[in-house]
Amino acid sequence: MAQQIKAAAIWLLLMFQSTASVIGERTRDKMYEPILGASCFRRLNGTHQTGCSSTFSGSVGVLHLINIDADLEFLLTSPPSPPYAPMIPPHLFTRANLLRLKEAGPKIISVVLLINRSKIEQFSHELNCPNQYSGLKLNNSTETATCDAKKVTNTWNRWGTGLLHEDFPFPIYYIADPEEIDKLEKCFIKFNDFDYESHALRSLCAVEIKSFMSAAVNSEVCMRRTNFINNLGGSKYCDPLEGRNVYATLYPRSPTENVDINTDEKFIIVSCRLDTTSMFDGLGLGAMDSLQSLAILTQVAHMLHILLPSQNTLTDPKRNVLFVAFNGESYDYIGSQRFVYDMENLAFPTRSTRTTPISFDNIEFMLDIGTLDDIGNIKLHTLTSTLLAKQLLQQLNRYAKSSRYGFNVNFESNVGYHIPPTSAQSFLRRDEKFPALILNALPNNRFYHSIYDDVDNVAFIYANTSQDYTKLADVNDMKNISVNSLQMKVRNVSSIVAMALYETLTGKQYQGNQVANPLLADEFFYCFLLSSDCPLFKASSYLNSPPGVPLPPMRYISVLGGSQESSGWTYRLFGYLLSHQEPSVPKENCTQLPLYYFAGLNDTGECRRTTQNYTHALSPAFLIEDYDWRSGQYSTWTESTWSQFSARIFLRPSNVHEITILSIGIVVFIISFCLIYIISSRWEVLFEDLPASNAALPMPTAC
Amino acid sequence: MTLPEFFGCTLIAFGTPFSLFVFTIANDSMRIIILIAAAFFWLLSLLLSSLLWFAIVPLRDVLAFGVVFSVLFQECFRYIIYRILRSTEHALHAVAEDTRITENKHILAYVSGLGFGIISGLFALVNVLADMTGPGTMGLRGGSEMFFVTSAVQVLSIILLHTFWSVIFFNAFDTNNYLHIFYVVGTHLFVSLLTLLNADELYWASLLPNYIVTILTAVLAFKVAGGTSKSFKRFVMCR
Repeated sequence: MAQQIKAAAIWLLLMFQSTASVIGERTRDKMYEPILGASCFRRLNGTHQTGCSSTFSGSVGVLHLINIDADLEFLLTSPPSPPYAPMIPPHLFTRANLLRLKEAGPKIISVVLLINRSKIEQFSHELNCPNQYSGLKLNNSTETATCDAKKVTNTWNRWGTGLLHEDFPFPIYYIADPEEIDKLEKCFIKFNDFDYESHALRSLCAVEIKSFMSAAVNSEVCMRRTNFINNLGGSKYCDPLEGRNVYATLYPRSPTENVDINTDEKFIIVSCRLDTTSMFDGLGLGAMDSLQSLAILTQVAHMLHILLPSQNTLTDPKRNVLFVAFNGESYDYIGSQRFVYDMENLAFPTRSTRTTPISFDNIEFMLDIGTLDDIGNIKLHTLTSTLLAKQLLQQLNRYAKSSRYGFNVNFESNVGYHIPPTSAQSFLRRDEKFPALILNALPNNRFYHSIYDDVDNVAFIYANTSQDYTKLADVNDMKNISVNSLQMKVRNVSSIVAMALYETLTGKQYQGNQVANPLLADEFFYCFLLSSDCPLFKASSYLNSPPGVPLPPMRYISVLGGSQESSGWTYRLFGYLLSHQEPSVPKENCTQLPLYYFAGLNDTGECRRTTQNYTHALSPAFLIEDYDWRSGQYSTWTESTWSQFSARIFLRPSNVHEITILSIGIVVFIISFCLIYIISSRWEVLFEDLPASNAALPMPTAC
Repeated sequence: MTLPEFFGCTLIAFGTPFSLFVFTIANDSMRIIILIAAAFFWLLSLLLSSLLWFAIVPLRDVLAFGVVFSVLFQECFRYIIYRILRSTEHALHAVAEDTRITENKHILAYVSGLGFGIISGLFALVNVLADMTGPGTMGLRGGSEMFFVTSAVQVLSIILLHTFWSVIFFNAFDTNNYLHIFYVVGTHLFVSLLTLLNADELYWASLLPNYIVTILTAVLAFKVAGGTSKSFKRFVMCR
């Protein structure tokens, strides 16, 4: 009833013009209902476009709820009033179904809605072989030698559907909020879900998605169009995927103006991946596919930082450890490719850091932490069997199996070309003899690169102990965190790796009882999976800086000017955890890097000497002039620009209804036109008496 | 998507007034000026009614109140324009190229009435028409899909009614026929209050009496303007 009164209000205000704008309600508000969700968007590489786009003015489709395969069959074989917008639950969002929808074309299927309803077993949109067309290749082959897509069970992501690399002629919208799904369902049931024969004759509940992508064809075309000199409007069609790698050294490097390489310096690189991706804008935490390795890297760095004595007491005082988190690795190793490119050109670290460049001659070996889906069974991958690898494996296993620690982790060696898709491939591709060692577990992540690789996928439960996480923990201290929790598993692997590296650096076996602190892992996962407004991020920020937003940081590499949250937080985290306190420096003098004033554990503020920095993660393809986009040498991924993402539901009138009204209008118009012509041409006949108005004077009396 | 709906409704509502304009107004500059002037006076009445609606806060939600006063304001301004036109008639006669405008006093009434009607119809429908161009139609959150057609048809009747009312009204003041004045104000109030029924989607209940009133008013205006059943018969028989 209240609705009807409102309707009356609008109607009459319009009829009698009593300032409708004051109320600010319009007919439109009664016709449309916005829907919140996340959209799939378009990315391009050197040869293809992937993802989805709506039509320029928005794609419209009639809602149809898909519960079983037969519903989809019905839409594809005998759609009564196309185009349709199927609402698909995740378990039916399979490659086979999506390709059938794609084949049906935008005439029948104009929009696809993915509704978050059913529990699912697997959901990965990445290829079976992630980064299939980059990485280590053999004999000018276009595909990587480290993964055979034909033997699916032996690939690195055997649940992968590859939908992330398909091009769809319709927009795909992901709707997670149960309230929004409810709105859609109610509308579908009320207007569409009965009497399908008369669909063509009545108004149906439809959805409109606006997600038009301005880029098309491939990166080459769209970069050319963007850079075209006649592009006076300055409009951009696409941006290269671009971000920042974060690195930090264990010991600070001495500042110098010298630009020559110091061959005495030796580095052990410990690296992992910083980014993840998913099909939908702004979603995807990558909890298992990459966040675990970042957590382990952070813990290893933190533990080594605390355990190791000063640099000049090491067996080789010129040794240092370089921790690197590569960005954009999901898109053909953008970060590590650029890192290798910079190192080759002696451009790492950048001039502004005032340190000597690091070349490949300075690298002793690289330990890359890949995906550790099963944290109990880890393989040490190398291309060829080397003494170094054997030694490290022995060390790892010694600590892993030591009864003193009870870590219960198993390390095995794996030699050969079956190497996981990690950053080390970029180094190996340059030189197969590069001493790269990769820690990787058997792939067991059914949600690799998907929106469901979240807190639940890693079974993380925040302990929230509010205790000091910056110190190492005793190995037997288990009172805060349960033994089988994610935090404990991360603690174990981190401790083992850190101990092995400790032995490598000092030449002595590690004898202590101190291991990585599971509380640090606890805080780390809370920050990256649940909320940026968290104790760890707060401690590693500048004193009294505003808190982070209560959402997890975005970990997609994004483009220039996009959110660089995860690299920013990782940068501060490395800064905080790998720095030495400088109690003698007052706050006023603690402003210039490497000195940085952190909020610290209890918000007290502390000045620390940091070692972390950024390097640019933009593919060299965009730096090299006249780069051959089809060569497959470097990552060529770009992201299309768009103006808006929006979705709304409304009633779509039937064609019959539209045509009827138009015909009535035309008929009314023609009849009145003729009639009035006749009347006006012969009006003297109609009105015989023609009184002159002058005759009516004098003036009438007042009213 | 619903561009057909948009054009359909536009033609329904404004097709007839447009034809009237083309055949009876457009070829005489003086008539155009008077038409615009009448439209201006109608806008003044709108301004006053909206001020009143805005000022009396507790009655903002009581639509009937706003409706009644809006009608009264419109009729007052109809009287004002009547007085102005009559007082400028001599001057008009001097400058007009086509002297029929002053020779037949009903033409002035008709032109100003059409001006009233067109502007009132425009204000009633333009907002609705603007929202009609999107892909959707009415009905998702209540409302019926006949809403747009009903609006258009209603607007057509209002435009025609204003024209007829002016003819009757002007003549009534010329001849001191108070019954006719009362008829004009009465039917205007009646038709306006009738539209309140649209809130309950009783479209037929409002449209049908509305058109009956329109036809009655048309007949009355026809008679007032000097038409008789004999002349009508002659017209139909094409004699």
